[in-house]
Amino acid sequence: MVDNLVIAGREFKSRLMVGTGKFASNSIMALAIKRSGTEIVTVALRRVDIENKDDDMLSAIDRKKYLLLPNTSGARSAEEAVRLARLARAATGINWLKLEVTPDPYYLLPDPVETLKAAQILVKEGFVVLPYINADPVLAKRLQDAGTATVMPLASPIGSNQGLRTRAAIEIIIEQANVPVVVDAGLGLPSHAAEAMEMGADAVLVNTAIATADKPEEMAEAFKLAVQAGRMAYQCGPRAASRAANASSPLTGFLRNS
Amino acid sequence: MEILKINGVEKKFAAGQMPKTIAELLEQLRVEAATVVAEVDGGIVEREKFAQTKLSKGQSIELVRFVPGG
Repeated sequence: MVDNLVIAGREFKSRLMVGTGKFASNSIMALAIKRSGTEIVTVALRRVDIENKDDDMLSAIDRKKYLLLPNTSGARSAEEAVRLARLARAATGINWLKLEVTPDPYYLLPDPVETLKAAQILVKEGFVVLPYINADPVLAKRLQDAGTATVMPLASPIGSNQGLRTRAAIEIIIEQANVPVVVDAGLGLPSHAAEAMEMGADAVLVNTAIATADKPEEMAEAFKLAVQAGRMAYQCGPRAASRAANASSPLTGFLRNS
Repeated sequence: MEILKINGVEKKFAAGQMPKTIAELLEQLRVEAATVVAEVDGGIVEREKFAQTKLSKGQSIELVRFVPGG
């Protein structure tokens, strides 16, 4: 069954996006990316540390195999996000962008007003915008109407491993969306990713849960399998839960007298 | 004494020693140009223009590159 993810007209076989942060080394990152089967990897943009120049991380990522998705992490306003976006485009030559505006350093929750403002500007400038948002169905619609390529609601705060705390709101977002819904942030276990996919999410983005596991490479594969299983289950038409039991075995022909 | 502000920090050069272009600045700092994007006084300079982009004293230069992130 061909069931590709399509974002802005581009097809992907994998429905798992992988973040490159927090890996112990570039080589472990590269192995985990490969094992995950992903085709989209996120990166951040920062000042060059003049005093302490480490390895260039991009040399560990095969640009022919993976689409680089630069993020605007660190931006606290629409203005800062737009500036980072333009720099990222100048650096990669590609116009795909994970838009994130997170002024609050403790929960790192995205600012909806600034995110929408930045999205409107960047869409006009020709960017393919994938906005990271709180699980707000109204905001998701506003962004979709502004021309973003996806919406990326959070499952729980970034890096928290709490899983799908926003489930009810994400269900509404999925129901209303006409762009792909990518559940991003807070997925701590493959079962969390599977749950999102079973609900009908189009893709998930995972970073911390893979990068900080004892065995990142194997965890990357565990997420790959969970995403595939969840997607397959969604397509099989899962049945709703009921309060009472429904027997699986026949309720006739018992070996007893009435 | 000539000054350039590089990534928010003032860097002083002896008279005549200030790099003349972005390319020269990167060479002095031993930063590989292929991995960098530059901004001069808030305007992006494309990598192909590093060698032609003249610097003048007092300018504010940002050198950024990709790092791991989610």
